[in-house]
Amino acid sequence: MTILPFPSFLDDVKAKGLKRAVFEGVDDVVERVTAGLNVQDIRETLRGENPSRRPNPRLQPHADGFWLHMRPSYFHRDMTGLYPTFRLGWLSTYFVFFETITGIFLMIWYTPSPTYAYSNMLNILSNVPLGQLMRDLHRLGAEAMVLIVTLHMVRTFFTGSYKKPRQFTWFTGVILLLATLFLSFSGYLLPWDQLALWAVTIGASMVEAAPPEVVGTNLDLLLRGGPEIGANGLLRFYLLHVLAVPAILFIFTGVHYYKVIIHGHSLPPQKENIGEDTAKRVPLDKRVYFIPDVLTSEIMWISVTTFILVMLSVWFFHAPLENHADPQVTPLGTTAPWYFLWIQGALKLGDKVLWGIVFPTVVFVFMMILPYLDTNPSRRYRDRRFMLSLGFLLISGTTVLSYMGLADYGVDTSADAEILHYMTHEPAHNHMGLLLPVPYDELVPGMYTTEQFAVSSDEAAAAIAALNERVDGTDLGSQIQGVLGSTYADVGALRFRAVPDDAPELVSVMESFQKQLKEEEDELHNGFGMVIISENQEGLRRVDVLIAWEEVELEQGRPVKDADGQVVPILTEDGSPTYRVSEAHIFIHRHAAYFQ
Amino acid sequence: MATATQGKGALARPARTKEVAVEVAGPSRREFLYYIWGASAVLLLGQVTAGIVWFALPRFREGEFGGVFRLPTDEVPASGSAPVAFPAGRFWLSNSDQGFLALYAVCTHLGCLPRWVDTNNRFECPCHGSKFEADGAYIEGPAPRGLDRFRVTVTFTNGDVATMDGSGAPIPLEGREIAEVAVDTGDRIMGT
Repeated sequence: MTILPFPSFLDDVKAKGLKRAVFEGVDDVVERVTAGLNVQDIRETLRGENPSRRPNPRLQPHADGFWLHMRPSYFHRDMTGLYPTFRLGWLSTYFVFFETITGIFLMIWYTPSPTYAYSNMLNILSNVPLGQLMRDLHRLGAEAMVLIVTLHMVRTFFTGSYKKPRQFTWFTGVILLLATLFLSFSGYLLPWDQLALWAVTIGASMVEAAPPEVVGTNLDLLLRGGPEIGANGLLRFYLLHVLAVPAILFIFTGVHYYKVIIHGHSLPPQKENIGEDTAKRVPLDKRVYFIPDVLTSEIMWISVTTFILVMLSVWFFHAPLENHADPQVTPLGTTAPWYFLWIQGALKLGDKVLWGIVFPTVVFVFMMILPYLDTNPSRRYRDRRFMLSLGFLLISGTTVLSYMGLADYGVDTSADAEILHYMTHEPAHNHMGLLLPVPYDELVPGMYTTEQFAVSSDEAAAAIAALNERVDGTDLGSQIQGVLGSTYADVGALRFRAVPDDAPELVSVMESFQKQLKEEEDELHNGFGMVIISENQEGLRRVDVLIAWEEVELEQGRPVKDADGQVVPILTEDGSPTYRVSEAHIFIHRHAAYFQ
Repeated sequence: MATATQGKGALARPARTKEVAVEVAGPSRREFLYYIWGASAVLLLGQVTAGIVWFALPRFREGEFGGVFRLPTDEVPASGSAPVAFPAGRFWLSNSDQGFLALYAVCTHLGCLPRWVDTNNRFECPCHGSKFEADGAYIEGPAPRGLDRFRVTVTFTNGDVATMDGSGAPIPLEGREIAEVAVDTGDRIMGT
């Protein structure tokens, strides 16, 4: 007889007693949730015992459950060690989800519009609890993902795992690499800072160079949403970043992993005969079951990775944010992200169609069809001398090109502009001008000069006095005042003094300033530097950095040397030196918090 | 004779293809209709793609980008002095020994903005290191050509009017005094 008009839990309680009915109920729920494992099975698993009932319940979630349906129920013992996979494929997969989750959280506080994007960043950094951490994690995760995916590919290449029958797996892997790179790059634009604008301007201009002209021009328009990157371009990159490319990434992650499972994880090359592929035939004594060993190991790997990412983001890494995008100024030292430096380096070699379009296309197409070209059946290292050499050659070439992509290579400007940039530039790629992190309290209004640091400390006072005399009422003095402009109309005479003793960071900045001038002595002949600090407004100080030097003959930006190896000064008609003065300035607020 | 030769050839050909000849039935009506249906689906997909491109291409109103800037003479740099930036129109006014012209401020390489570096007396691009003379002529670096220029019309105080020709060469001043400068940013002439 039932208590309710239909069979229910209460009948169980009546028949078996409360304790037993509850236990059986819980056991039943657990077995349904795990798609096969009851409480007893789970406890046996955790205790490291063999399953006590047959068929093996630990295989059931793979057959019946959704979450494990694509995971193999056992792995080959020879590929569960660190070698040969280094867990790079699993970590790549993890980053897909890590970036999706942190990305969705960031979307809560983001509007893809030039009007709001940058202030959204400031809001995330300063107002949103854990906002900076979330942004740092997303950015660090993106960089780590590029690194891990690349290493995964390099590993697959060196162990020969791309060979028959896994050619198509490799092919989809290259698509995943491209999607990863594009996701990382398209994320660059979203903060709408200087780095964003100019990195993406260069990227879109490369697309524009694609031949024939009608294709390049229209692709560029589709991408930018106008002749220049603006509101339309930002929205388009946003949609690509959060919808289109992730969709491609998810689909191909599925295809890629399906192929991995279909063919089995390739064994270390020396473990099977040449030309054989035994990954799918795992002998009973070589099986490592997914539950619990592989599952535990995978959870351990992603936990450690997450821990490292959080630690780095809390203590060491902060996603850079440059000044608000300014379509009128390209910052000096604009460089591509590190994983695109090789393209930037190649672009400096010459023609943009050849090096910006043809070259990267050839590289990626070559990578895609590599397994179909390399039909050598052996995966043994000693049989693959040509391909391994080619691999090392490509890695070396990429390294050299990446070095050439750095701002210091091939993008030389005048020595004074370099030094002024070095002293004052806004944060970019985690570097900033030397003066920016100097504490506000140390920026005591006054005029300071590198002449103080050009001589030993007991002669410093005399050197400063000598400079004061040189600029007092002379042409050089009025030239300096002219460069300073109207800001200093009321300052009157130039009176330099020693840097206060209680400003150690300013002292060290002045010392580096002097060192820089010394290094560029040829071009900045008899040059000296000045730092002039003034109270611009209440709580806002203006720091002017000036360099004055005697002009020398230059040819293509390099000093001309005479027979004795000396520079050739340009003299006025009466034989005195021609002076040049250049200037840059920054404003520092009392509450500005630049940190190195 | 002719028929005999023909006959020989006709005999030889089937002999060659005999080995690989496979008995394939001609398409049935059903199969044929599938091909037609598939081809029209592909055609439709092509049309959809074209439609999407048409949909997504940005549209501009007439005159939204580019226009004629009329500049007073005090904007014009003195002959031989450093070029002067005119950010509102994205151009530089340059008055070098070769003459007067308006240079489009965007690098012909990949769209960055070269800066005028007075010390070196040239434009230098901060992105990939292309360098240009004061009159926009190419010096070195990966840029494919010199800076582009906008068609500029100069009216002189003596009534002369000079317009940049299609070659984009600077307008020689020949000692005349400028009364008005009109820069047409809708008319870009490629640099050389």
